[in-house]
Amino acid sequence: MEKKYIYLSVLLVVLALGLVILPGKDDPKETNPKLLLSSVTEKSRYLSADQITHRIIENDPTLLLIDLRPASQFKTFALPGSMNIPVDSILISTNIEIFNQPGKDKVFYANSDLTAEMAWMLCTRFSLKRIYVMKGGLNEWFQTIIETKSLPVTASSADMELQSFRIAARQFFTGAGPSTVAPGAGQSSEKVIVTRKAPGEKSGGGC
Amino acid sequence: MKYDGSNYLNPYLGGVILGTVLLLSFYISGRGLGASGAVKNTVAATVNVIAPRHVEESAYYSQFAGGEHSPMSNWLVYEVLGVLAGAFLSGILFNRLKLKVEHSPKITSRRRLLFALLGGLIFGFGTQLARGCTSGAALSGMAVLSLGGYITMVAIFGTAFGAAWIFRKNWI
Amino acid sequence: MIGPIVSSGLISPAWDNIFAVLLGMGFGFALESSGFSSSRKIIGTFFGYDFVVVKVFFTAAIVSSLGLLYLSSLGLLDYSQLYIQPTFLASAIFGGIIMGIGFAMGGFCPGTSLCAAAVGRIDGLIFFGGMFIGVFLFSESFPLFEKMYYSGSMGAKMINSVFGISPELFTFLLVLMAIGMFWGAGWIQNRVKKIEY
Repeated sequence: MEKKYIYLSVLLVVLALGLVILPGKDDPKETNPKLLLSSVTEKSRYLSADQITHRIIENDPTLLLIDLRPASQFKTFALPGSMNIPVDSILISTNIEIFNQPGKDKVFYANSDLTAEMAWMLCTRFSLKRIYVMKGGLNEWFQTIIETKSLPVTASSADMELQSFRIAARQFFTGAGPSTVAPGAGQSSEKVIVTRKAPGEKSGGGC
Repeated sequence: MKYDGSNYLNPYLGGVILGTVLLLSFYISGRGLGASGAVKNTVAATVNVIAPRHVEESAYYSQFAGGEHSPMSNWLVYEVLGVLAGAFLSGILFNRLKLKVEHSPKITSRRRLLFALLGGLIFGFGTQLARGCTSGAALSGMAVLSLGGYITMVAIFGTAFGAAWIFRKNWI
Repeated sequence: MIGPIVSSGLISPAWDNIFAVLLGMGFGFALESSGFSSSRKIIGTFFGYDFVVVKVFFTAAIVSSLGLLYLSSLGLLDYSQLYIQPTFLASAIFGGIIMGIGFAMGGFCPGTSLCAAAVGRIDGLIFFGGMFIGVFLFSESFPLFEKMYYSGSMGAKMINSVFGISPELFTFLLVLMAIGMFWGAGWIQNRVKKIEY
């Protein structure tokens, strides 16, 4: 029973124990495919154009809009306050860091649903939380907010409220009055105070 | 023949050195050390030179030689050359270079060499079946916690205990 | 630098062979300096008078297992890129048994026989030569063993998954077991009749 061997044995045990106790590397863990499928069918990831507009106007700090389109399109027009991360650079680790930010809802959008869905799928596979898709993308947003169609007279009061919200929003973004057909880019000069309507339940989802 | 144990490294130190070399091997090349693989490749290459068609048709040889394979330019072959060099170096350093047949005083050199030949033959056969030897399958396999590696290690040592007792006249 | 270095493309494949030689030198040196060029020293494990094989082998196994796992958890090594040999149950067992017999007869394994040959031991050289014959015999008679060769395939299975524990926990238990064996070996060695070799 030599002393040095006792020391060595203890050292070895400590080293091996350290390995067991040490926390593992922070790998982006892949989601179980079954869980992924149930998330896909759940549809809680969609936020409507109305909801997003609402939060933009109110400067909601928990909203982080991510524009997945190429930089050139982003420069032409983008939703106020949004970041440009072209979809092909979505998996760069610095961008993953952005998606990992706590306390914010990350909303993907592009011109239509397709790209945003893809990006959502990719991020959800890596177990990133609070990722959403703006339903219909910019196309639907335009149709809803900017090119608001006139309602039939028989519309419900809830619909009427939504309509006036949209018109006000249009003014917010484009500075145009209720009757003009909206141009594309935002040249708003006057801020319109929008009466806040209770938006009902918050969007489902979040984890 | 005198037991000059003072000349050998402390076995635990030797183990640490070996373990570190093994670790480096994985870190650098992504694979462990080995020895029997070089023998396999050499045999396959030799047969290929003599009878290339046979190599092509053989279900075994064709995996390592013939056609596109160039089995001699192979990691293991280089590694084996290194083993020879390293052992030679150690022999020089520790003054152990000596041409001799090492055997128990109770048997003759010839008997020892016969058993060495037979033992090598049988062992070589086994390495092919198990896809490796004590270095390649057992040791390197244990380093990455391979189940096959552990199984082979247990099989080798377990059997050797019994078999050594059977052949004990040769040794003690 | 994330290991394995060669597969991460930082070094060209030509260097791989150079490293093979260097690593082999380290391998050969470690073996020979520990005494593995002597067949009677190697066989001592099985008769209780010299446990050098157990000590070196298991020390190397735990050093490398611990080292690889630590490197992996520190992010310096991509464990998934390491070559883990596939498990074929039947051939692993029977091949091991056959090797055990050859081991007991010849007193060497391929690596150690090379070391012995390098320092002038003729029995090591003959053993290594015998291997060529054995490999040749197997290759020629392969069709007889083909079925066994491919049976019981479990892929690149890791032993800790058999017990349902993490690799780290398994290695810890292995360390405990190895230390137990080392102390046991020392105890036995002290009580066995001394042999001159």
